[in-house]
Amino acid sequence: MAIAVKTEGLTKTYRLFMQKKPVSAVSDLNVEVAEGEIFGFLGPNGAGKTTTIKMLLGLVYPTSGKAWLLGKPAGDIELKRRISYLPETPYFYDYMTGAEVLSFYGRLFGYKTEYLTPKIEELLKTVGLYGDRDKPLGQYSKGMLQRIGIAQTLINDPKLLILDEPTTGLDPLAHSDIRDLILRLRDEGKTVFLSSHQLSDVEMVCDRVAILNRGKLLKTGSLKDMLAVGHVEVRATDLNAETIEKLKEYANSVEKVANCYAISQGDGECIDRTIDLVRQCKGQIESIIPQKRTLEELFVEMIREVNK
Amino acid sequence: MTTFVIAGNTLGEALRKKILWIFFIAAAAMIVLSVSFSQFSFRGEMTIIRSLGLGLLSIVGLLITLVLGINLISVEMERKTIYTILSKPVRRYEFLLGKFLGAMMTLLIQLLLMSTVFIFLVTWKSNWDWKGSIELLKGTVMIFFQLLMVGSVAMVFSVFTTPVVNFFTTSAIYIVGNLDLTDPMMHSKLALQKMFYTALHYAIPNFSNYNIQNKLIHPEVAITGEFNYYAINVAYAVLYSSVLLIIAVLAFEKRDM
Repeated sequence: MAIAVKTEGLTKTYRLFMQKKPVSAVSDLNVEVAEGEIFGFLGPNGAGKTTTIKMLLGLVYPTSGKAWLLGKPAGDIELKRRISYLPETPYFYDYMTGAEVLSFYGRLFGYKTEYLTPKIEELLKTVGLYGDRDKPLGQYSKGMLQRIGIAQTLINDPKLLILDEPTTGLDPLAHSDIRDLILRLRDEGKTVFLSSHQLSDVEMVCDRVAILNRGKLLKTGSLKDMLAVGHVEVRATDLNAETIEKLKEYANSVEKVANCYAISQGDGECIDRTIDLVRQCKGQIESIIPQKRTLEELFVEMIREVNK
Repeated sequence: MTTFVIAGNTLGEALRKKILWIFFIAAAAMIVLSVSFSQFSFRGEMTIIRSLGLGLLSIVGLLITLVLGINLISVEMERKTIYTILSKPVRRYEFLLGKFLGAMMTLLIQLLLMSTVFIFLVTWKSNWDWKGSIELLKGTVMIFFQLLMVGSVAMVFSVFTTPVVNFFTTSAIYIVGNLDLTDPMMHSKLALQKMFYTALHYAIPNFSNYNIQNKLIHPEVAITGEFNYYAINVAYAVLYSSVLLIIAVLAFEKRDM
């Protein structure tokens, strides 16, 4: 699969006034994002997420290392025709109306009115702002500004979208709309590089994630693999004492939960054995659930471990 | 093309700044009121009106240039609008030149509006002698080119500094540029002092060359080789501003956003 974003040893250090030692914002970052995936870029405040994004966009120059987007070096002017960016809490010229701001960004691509007029109408409908198209942005709420920000990222029909906290300030309904929009964009073949603190959103939409802390990459990989804890819980009722004893011999744990037993075990062979034992004693299987952590649990655990 | 889109946007935003219209209204009111002021002076009525009008154009023009110039880049950074713009296919120099062009277009429009009020008043007071009044436009043109240089100075500093620092630095350069440094440069006894004045003399333009109020207030005063005088000073302003803009572009290209 083609690579949409690739960084090799990407590093950014800042030299602060009157301080001898440089401060490292991003250190030796190696990340690959495949085309057509939603990639979550996570980390606590000050982890270096925004600096990395700025380096990808050519807004900040790396101290060392390189980055490529859609096969072109970061900052390339032609590349910028095929990507788009939504900054965290975006601000736009508040004297402009929603339609005007989209027209302004469209004209930066050199688009003519014939292309822009229907495109703007379509985008305003997509983000649910068509009814407010003639209102100045000064009268927009925070959520509406976020929506117009998302609309401006779609003006050039980009192949790669870099979104920094796209759901900040949105109400639950708008939140859900934006999540659906991100999934729809992936279905259209676009790549989404999503930096967010909303871990539940990331968990719902992302295929792979990278976790960053203090400028260093802690972990990257498929979300499915990262969240799997490698055991399955079988819940069963009507078990006799003899069966429970047998289960305890090999299962990780056997606990009474409400009116049933929760049997936790590792591999597939154990599950088959448990099912056989439950059936032999004429018990009933209530559920078989592969156990996994939430992204929040994984994230908190990793960051705490590193910060110890 | 992108430069003009940004220039148009800068102009649109600047023309909505209330402060600029307050400057304009205050200047226009003062120009109109100069008719009343002239009654309290021993000098001729037209002298007072012309002198006050040209002075106001110069001062208000300077204030407009400072307000626009010092905020050109810093405000875009502060509001993060620069990030969305530069993530589009916009080169950094196109952005910078677009901002500068937009600011200078705003200045020109404001100067022309104030000049219209001023010239109309002078024409009315001189029994509709348009020919004499139109001469005053030369003053507007020279003020504009003087402020073009001041704007370029503000632009360079806006790449490096905060608006407050920029305000004081640009204002200081404007003041020094209006002083005659030839005398201290020629007669300084200390070598270091002489070097300092010489450096200032060559680095900072002589803004007083653009103050042609004396000639416009007193039509009997003539400038020797008038056309050449205007042409040389206009060319100097364009060249000086171009050099400063190149410096600003080079600094802006290297800057982390």
